[in-house]
Amino acid sequence: MRVRRVLSKTVGVLQATIGGAIMIFAFLFFYNFFNVQEILGASPVSIGIYLWISIIFGLLSIISGLFLFYER
Amino acid sequence: MVEPQLKRDLGLLRTTMLGVGGTLSAANFVIIGHAASLAGYAIIPVVIICGVLSLLTMFSYAELGTAIPLAGGEYTFAKVAYGGFTSFLTGWFEWLSNMFYGALSAIGFAYVVSYLFPQINIPLTAVVLVTIFAIINLRGTKESATAETIITIIVLAILGIFVITGWSYVQATPAPTQSTSTIGLLGIFAATAYLFELYLGAEAVAAAQAEVKNPGKNIPRAILLSAIILIALYSSIVIVSLGIVPPEALSTQSSPIAFVAEQALGPIGAFLITIGLAIAGLAATNGAILAQSRVLYAMSRDGYLPKGLCKVHKRFCTPHIAIIAGAVFTMIFAATGFVNFVVYAVNLGFIIGFSIVNFSLIKLRRVAPHLKRPFKVPLYPLTPIAGIAASIFLALFIDPSVLVLGAELVVVALLVYYVRLIGQNRIRIAFGGISLGLGSFLLYIAYSIATKSIQLQGISQEFNSIIFYLLIFVSIVQVLAGILNITVSDRRR
Repeated sequence: MRVRRVLSKTVGVLQATIGGAIMIFAFLFFYNFFNVQEILGASPVSIGIYLWISIIFGLLSIISGLFLFYER
Repeated sequence: MVEPQLKRDLGLLRTTMLGVGGTLSAANFVIIGHAASLAGYAIIPVVIICGVLSLLTMFSYAELGTAIPLAGGEYTFAKVAYGGFTSFLTGWFEWLSNMFYGALSAIGFAYVVSYLFPQINIPLTAVVLVTIFAIINLRGTKESATAETIITIIVLAILGIFVITGWSYVQATPAPTQSTSTIGLLGIFAATAYLFELYLGAEAVAAAQAEVKNPGKNIPRAILLSAIILIALYSSIVIVSLGIVPPEALSTQSSPIAFVAEQALGPIGAFLITIGLAIAGLAATNGAILAQSRVLYAMSRDGYLPKGLCKVHKRFCTPHIAIIAGAVFTMIFAATGFVNFVVYAVNLGFIIGFSIVNFSLIKLRRVAPHLKRPFKVPLYPLTPIAGIAASIFLALFIDPSVLVLGAELVVVALLVYYVRLIGQNRIRIAFGGISLGLGSFLLYIAYSIATKSIQLQGISQEFNSIIFYLLIFVSIVQVLAGILNITVSDRRR
């Protein structure tokens, strides 16, 4: 049980961190900070789609990670 | 739960000043510049139309505020009228609107101050301001309608001086070159949706109903008076400004009104206006942080949000966790420094809130006809229906990226609500399945990159490898998370 608890907390933190990083990346990407759009060669049409995918992926990861982290 | 009895000591003047002061924010005088670029000289009727549209819903606030004598504003109205998810969604957007309004007020303050001190960093100043007021709110603030009245009168006096001296300047000097650019009807509608924010905050009159003397008479009068004062104030400021400089000149300034004051009254005018608007910005930021923390507190108390948010600090007797949580989100949006995005976000939140207030009024008139109503909306049901129609119409002209954000926030609201309602276990299993799916999908993409089925253009081989290993790592984490969420034992459920 203790192994599972440690594993859940570790994976939860990792997953939530990945989700948060993706959300931050989506923000940087949408507002083209550091010329991210040019670096990744994103066309104007695809920006919205990438943003949607990133935000949904990030949100799902954060929520799932929090479930694991707060597992009792 | 018994609501504490508050002393009714607010007369008509102080109640009116609550409505006027609630709307006066530094940001209002910053966004006039962009609105002028959208509507040109038509910004004058736009300002008046926005006031009238806002007034339609203010009547609904007045009726519901006097009929339902409980704290909480639109969240409480929706709870009484609909309950369930509708009241949760109302509280959710009430919180978000106040959070965005706090960020906007802080950014507006930074822009106004940057007119005198151009070297300041706008996002950093806004974040520092939010932090300071979060700390002040944590330590406890004794709300004082008298202080609010004094601040409002000072700001009104400064703006009054600006209007009178500016008008004298307009009369004494030749008119500026008229703009030749044509503004379409769409530009005017867009400006209306954008400037709707000018009148937000006037609902503070209805929210303070428990402290108003003779609320049946004073609240509707104060709402009407504050609307008249605000429409007169904003339209006279815009008329004077456009009499001194053309709309294009306003749109390029960080603090358009300070710029106009400098043209008409010299550096002293710019200084005076900046001081007045900065005071307004500080008061608005503080008010928004206070309001959003109380909404979070109330929603947590009602079981809609985690219980931790309604914890009260032992020493300061303030909902410290709600204040910190709200302030963190406010800081994130203040850090963007993007005025237009935050303005539309504020407007969207309030448009949804206003619609629900009007719907609540109609529903309660039908299901609770005998409810004691010291004040009734005139021309019912035309007034609330016109308020709803105006809200829907304005929403059409909100920036699409903000509408996308709004849709996502509704999805998040649904998730939060149903997690509380049906328990964590089913939601966890669902999230476990989603994580497994995402992990498998990422593994497939990594495999496709390795086998060159997907080729990333313009990226070096080394960076390609980094992306491959990153994808493998993320997919393993997702798959593990999925398995752990799905295999949670019954005891844990």
